[in-house]
Parts: sequence; C-alpha cells; structure tokens
Amino acid sequence: MNWTCELTEERLSDYLDRLLQPAEQTAFDHHVNGCARCTPLVASVSHLLTTLRTLEPVDPSPRFVDSVLTATLGAPSWRNMRGWLRGLSSPRFIYGAASVAATLILVLYTSGFSFKKPRLADLSPVAIYHKANSQAHLVYAHGVKFVSDLRVVYEIQSRLRQDNELPSTEEGTLPKSSPSQDPGRTDGTNPAAPRQQNRADGIGRSLEILATQFTLLSLPVGERRMP
Amino acid sequence: MQSRLEPHQVKRLRNSLEQDTQLVQQCLQGDGSAWEELVRRHTRRIYNICYRFTGNRTEAEDLSQDVFLRVYRTIGSYRSAYGGFATWMTSVTRNLLIDHYRRTKRDRVTDSIEDKILVVENKESAGRRPDEQALLGELSGQVQSALTRLSPELREAVILRDLQQLEYGEIQQVLAVPEGTVKSRINRGRIELARILQQMGVRPS
Repeated sequence: MNWTCELTEERLSDYLDRLLQPAEQTAFDHHVNGCARCTPLVASVSHLLTTLRTLEPVDPSPRFVDSVLTATLGAPSWRNMRGWLRGLSSPRFIYGAASVAATLILVLYTSGFSFKKPRLADLSPVAIYHKANSQAHLVYAHGVKFVSDLRVVYEIQSRLRQDNELPSTEEGTLPKSSPSQDPGRTDGTNPAAPRQQNRADGIGRSLEILATQFTLLSLPVGERRMP
Repeated sequence: MQSRLEPHQVKRLRNSLEQDTQLVQQCLQGDGSAWEELVRRHTRRIYNICYRFTGNRTEAEDLSQDVFLRVYRTIGSYRSAYGGFATWMTSVTRNLLIDHYRRTKRDRVTDSIEDKILVVENKESAGRRPDEQALLGELSGQVQSALTRLSPELREAVILRDLQQLEYGEIQQVLAVPEGTVKSRINRGRIELARILQQMGVRPS
C-alpha cells in the first residue's frame, strides 16, 4: 500500500484510536518511520492526547450552585417554603388533615354549633364544653331510654309468648273431644274455666306493667326513674 | 467505532442515565430538590466545557448559569428519545457557547488574527485570579491557551472528545453533523492544537 503524508494527517486519529486495518497500520508505520515530516507530527499529537487526558477538571466557585438555584427556584427561604408546601401534598399529610377536620366537625356538631348560623360566641371553649356536656348527657339519656324501651318490649313479648304456650300445653293433655258434648256447651264439670281465668289474669298483669312503663316513658327524661 | 468503555463503566453510565431520567420526571412534577440534584450532578461537567471553550473562569460561570437557566426553562421539551439528558444538556451548552462566541466576535474590533489572540489573552488575564496566572506557566495553562486559539468548530470537537471523553455518536448528536464531519473535525483539531503548542514552544517529552 502506497502511504502518503496527506494520508497520515487524514488517518492520524484512526491510528491513535487503533482503528486502522492491519495492512493500513503496516503502511502507516512504514511511512512514518521514514518520513521527517510525519514523525514529529505523530509524536506531537500523541503527546497532546496524553496531556489532554491528564488535565484535571476545574471547579466553579462554591457559590455557583446556590446562585443557579436562586436564579431558577428563588431565594433559599422561598425554596424552603416551596419544599414545605410540597410536603403538604403528601398523602400522609392529606389523611392526617382529613382526620383532624372530621374530628373538629364532630366536636363542633356535638357541641351544638350551628353551621347554618355560626356565632363566634359558640366557639369559645367554655360554651363548647357546656354544650358538649349537656349534649353528652342528652345522648346518654336517649340511650338509656332506648334500652329501657327495648326491655319493656321484650318483656311484653316474652310474657305473651309464655301465656300463649301455657294453655296449649294443658289443652294437649285433655281428651280430644267428647262425642256426647256439643261444642260450646258446658256441663259445670269442665276444668277449663280456671285456666281461662289464669290466662286473663296474666294478660291483665302484662297490661298493668305496660301501662306502668308507658307512664314512665311519657315523663320527661330528667324525671324518669327506672323501676 | 471502537469503544473505550469497560463493562463496569457502561453499567455506571446506564445507572447515571436512569437516575437523570428519574430526576427529570420529578422536576417536571415540580420537585425543587430533584432540580437541585440535577444541578449538582452536572455543574462540574458543564462548567468545564464552558471553561475549556472560553478559557475564562468568570465567563465560564456566567455561561454555565445561562445553560442551567435555559435547561430549567426548556426541560419540558426534553425527550429521552433524543438520547441521554447529559447529551441534551451538552447540546444546549454548545449552542450557547457558539452564540456567545459569535456575539463576542462581533464586539471585538480587530484587524488581524494576532490582534485577536492578544485581545483574548488580555481578557483572560483580566478574568483570572493570581493562582490562575500561576497555572499559565504550567502545561495545562499552555494547553488551555492553545485551545482558545483553535477555531470554535475544531475547539468544541476536541473538548467533547478528548476532555469530556464523549463517544463519536454522542458528539454527532451534540453538534448535529454527520459522523464523517465529527471525525474530520476531531482529527484536524488535534493536529492544529499540536501545531499551536509547538509554536508556543511546548515539545513532546
């Protein structure tokens, strides 16, 4: 291969990067070794590359990064504020804020605060305490009333069930029918009469208790006393 | 094209690319700390490109700041399909450097290349601190001085390849020119830089 000085210049980077084909490499070496012009050129460029690769990087002044951040994000205080505001959008904060808001609304609602006609006086801690206290007692009283109502209802139900079950059991022990006796006719020896009387007495007692309870329920909450 | 990267370097580069992409996403969602992290990660690289191109610390800082401002404003236009975020950012840097070069070139009133070099050197001296002046006596200072005498096309190619260690494909993306042009510019830039250094009396040891 015929190698020239122009080719040496043109392919010098390929030579330095070891990208020449073997035949080109041989021709390059052969030419450069015998060329007074190319030998110093190759040596100087090789030396330059070594020098360039050993150059230490330089650092900007220490305030450089701060000045860039100030120019882009604003002053440090504003940057901190932005970071803080960004923290507000985190899910943890949102859930926390929602819980606090719900609790606050619950407390205000419990204290009798009117959202339709809000008054500043209603927000004073003493007013909130008093209203919350009376509201709590009221809720307690309603709860007690509800429980006592349930008791009455269950008691009546159980008594009625008991009375319904008693005659049927007794009737089951009696002869099924007497062919000589007409339906509805009594001969004075029928023992069913006292049982009917007992049943009537039982219902009467239930109604008395019910009346007592309803009298109790009809009273204002403060005047009520449990039996 | 022969790659100089070892497997562990490739892995590190991939991790870095993924981190950059994640930080960009967070930035787009308004996360200031992600932007701060991006600035810290890329400051040194961007500043070095600017410094090697201008040869002046003050100008390099101003230009680097402009780069970050522009990136901050246009980060929404970045798409990972364009390549890595670092490559995109280097592209922005290169465009600003070329704009800056053209702007300052118009400002310079010079009659000859020699005068132009003198003006550049005087500007460098004005912007340098005493420790930088001391560096000028060393090889790195001489190389830096030689770099500023290269044409901007050759200078940027050499800086990206031999100082920033970018691959040819990345340089092609940054400069938006064909690969053949990239190779040619790098080759001519190296030869020209070596000649300038020779003229400055720097000889290979």
